[in-house]
Amino acid sequence: MRALMNRRIFGGSLLAGTGVLAVRRLCSTGRLRDRRKSQSRVAILNANSYDGPLDRLLLDGLRLFDLDLRGKRVLLKPNLVEYIAGADVNTDPRLVGAAATTLLSMGAKSVLVGEGPGHQRDTFLVLAESGLEKELQSRRVRFIDLNRDEIRQVALKRSFTGLDKLWLPRTVLTSDVVVSMPKVKTHHWAGVTLSMKNLFGVVPGVAYGWPKNLLHCKGIERSILDINAAIPAHFVIADGIIGMEGNGPLHGSPRNLGRIVLADDPVAADFVCTRLMGLDPLRVNYLAQAAEFLGNGTPDRIGQLAEPMLVPQEPFAVLPEFAHLRI
Amino acid sequence: MKTSFAALERQRLARCRLLAELLYRRLPRAGGWSHCGIQLGTEPTSLALLALRSSRSPPVSIEELAPLFACQRPNGLWSAVRDRDTEANFWASAIALNTLMILGVASEMFVGALDRLLHCKPLESSWLVRLKFRIADRQVRLDPTKFGWPWISNTMSWVEPTSMVLIALERAKNLTVIHDDQLWYRLNLGTDMLLDRACPDGGWNAGNGIVYGAPLRPHLDATALALAALRFHYHLPTVNSSLTWMLSQIDCPSAYSLAWLILSATAYKDCRSDVLPVLHTARERLAALVEEPEQIQDTSTIALAALALDPETADNPLEVRSCAH
Repeated sequence: MRALMNRRIFGGSLLAGTGVLAVRRLCSTGRLRDRRKSQSRVAILNANSYDGPLDRLLLDGLRLFDLDLRGKRVLLKPNLVEYIAGADVNTDPRLVGAAATTLLSMGAKSVLVGEGPGHQRDTFLVLAESGLEKELQSRRVRFIDLNRDEIRQVALKRSFTGLDKLWLPRTVLTSDVVVSMPKVKTHHWAGVTLSMKNLFGVVPGVAYGWPKNLLHCKGIERSILDINAAIPAHFVIADGIIGMEGNGPLHGSPRNLGRIVLADDPVAADFVCTRLMGLDPLRVNYLAQAAEFLGNGTPDRIGQLAEPMLVPQEPFAVLPEFAHLRI
Repeated sequence: MKTSFAALERQRLARCRLLAELLYRRLPRAGGWSHCGIQLGTEPTSLALLALRSSRSPPVSIEELAPLFACQRPNGLWSAVRDRDTEANFWASAIALNTLMILGVASEMFVGALDRLLHCKPLESSWLVRLKFRIADRQVRLDPTKFGWPWISNTMSWVEPTSMVLIALERAKNLTVIHDDQLWYRLNLGTDMLLDRACPDGGWNAGNGIVYGAPLRPHLDATALALAALRFHYHLPTVNSSLTWMLSQIDCPSAYSLAWLILSATAYKDCRSDVLPVLHTARERLAALVEEPEQIQDTSTIALAALALDPETADNPLEVRSCAH
C-alpha cells in the first residue's frame, strides 16, 4: 500500500513537473504571455453558517481590496451543477444573493448571475430546485442561462487543448467584471474544483452539448487552462463554508470548512483554497501550470488579508487516484 | 378522468399567450427565433415553426422555412445557431429534420442530411477509444460497443442527440424517404445504446448511469426524449420502469421539463392506462407555470409549452405515429 502511494505521489509530481516545465518553456520563448500580477491578494473570512450576516461579512471583506466597481457590469458565476436533495453540491444561494447585493451596494451598475450547467439541460429546473431562483427573486437580481445565450467565437492564441477557438456566451464577453463563485470541492477527474474549474460553466451547451464533451475529450486540465486564458475571472468569492470531500463534485460528503475566500487572482484563490483543504496545489497539474503564467501560486506573491491560513489537521478525503494530493 | 371545461379553457388561453409571445419574439430580419437575444437558432426556430403551424392551416411556405435553412451547413447538416463558423450539431440537425418531415417539405430538400446523419460515427466507434474504456477509463459504466450520436463531431454519443436522431430516422423510415442498408443497423445500435445508458433505477440523464460507483439520478427532459425514441420498445422493463418514473414527476417546477414530459407521454397514451390522467394533470400544471410567457427566457421553452398544451396536436416532434415494428 505504501509503495503504491509512493508511486502515485511520484507519478503525480512527475506529471505536474513535466507540465510546468513545458509551460515555462513556452513563456520563456514568448509563445505564452505571462499574465501574473506582481502581487495578488487573498482574504480568508471566517463564516460558520450561511444564516449569519453574510452581506456585512462580504462588504467588510471586499473593502479590503479597494475595488472600483462604479458603473461596471458584473457577472457572478456560481457553481450550479445539479440539485441533489440534502447534498451541498452548489454554491449556496444565500452567498450568491449576498454577493450580488454587496457588489451593487459598492457601486456596480448591474449585477447578473449566470451559469451553464454541464449535465443538466434544464437550467431553470436546477435554479428552482437549488433555491437560487427564490433568493435572486427576493433580491431582484436577474439570472441568465449561459448555455443558451448568444455565442461569439474567441480565438485561442496559444492552446493547450489544440483547439484554435472557443465559443463563449456574449454575456460573459461583454461583462466588465466576471466573479467566479465556486464551491470548495474535490473532483473525481481534476482533483479539486475551485474558481478555475468553475469557469467550465461559461462554455455554452448550445455549441458543445451536454456535457461539454469536447473539453473532456481534449483533457479537462488542458481545457481549464484554455478557458481561463481566454476569459480569466477578475475576482473570486469561494464558498468554503461547507465544502465537499471524497467523491466530488456530486457524490462526496459535506465538510465544514467555515471559510469564504476572496481573491483578485483565480490562481491565487485556488492555491489558498487547496491548502485550506489540506491538499498540495503544486500537485494539482492544472494549478501548477496555471501558476507559471495565469496567476500567482507562490506565497511571496500572495498578499494574505483578514484571517490567517490554517491547514486542517485532517485533509479533505480524496479518491485513491488523488491520494498524492494530500499534504 | 376528464379534464373540466374550465381547465381546458385555462390551457387554451395559456397556449394563446404562448403563441402570441412566439410571434412577438420572431426576429425582425432573419425571420426565425433565438433561444434568447437575436442570434438565430435551429432548435427554437424548429419548435416555434411547429407550435405556430399547429394553429394554422398547412402547408407551410418555403419563405417561412427560410430561417431554418439559414442554419444549414454546406454539408447538409444544421448548426445550433446561424454563424458561418459554427460546426454541424447532430441534435440541431435531427430536430430540423423532424420539423421538415412533420411540415411535409419535399424530401429532396433534406434527404442528403438524413444520409449524413445515418453515417455519422461518434468517438466510441473507434477501436482505440473502446480499448481505452476497457483498460484505462473504467470509472464510467458504459458499453462502448453500443453507440448512438454525439452532439458534435469527434465526441462521444449522448442520450439527447441519440434520441432525437432515432426519432428523425424512424420518421424518415415511415415516410420511406430513406433507403439505406445502414438504417436498421443504426436504429438497433442507437436503441441498444439508450438501454445501456439508463440509470439503475430507471430514467436517463445525459448518459452516465453510474460514475465512480455512484448511481446518478435521471433527468426529466432526457428521460422524456429517450422514452419517445424507445416508444416501439415499450414492452421492455427498462422502458416501462422509466415511464413509471417519468409519470411520477408531474410536480416538476420547470415548464421546460414538464413540456417534454407531456410530449413524450402523449406517445404512450395508448400503451398504458395511467398515462392519460397524468397528461391532464401535467397540462393543467404547465398552464399555470407559463402564465407569464414574457418572463420565460428561452424561446424553445415557450414553443415546447405551446405544443404540449395543444391536446390535438399532430405536430408533436416526439411522436412517430405509425408503428412499423
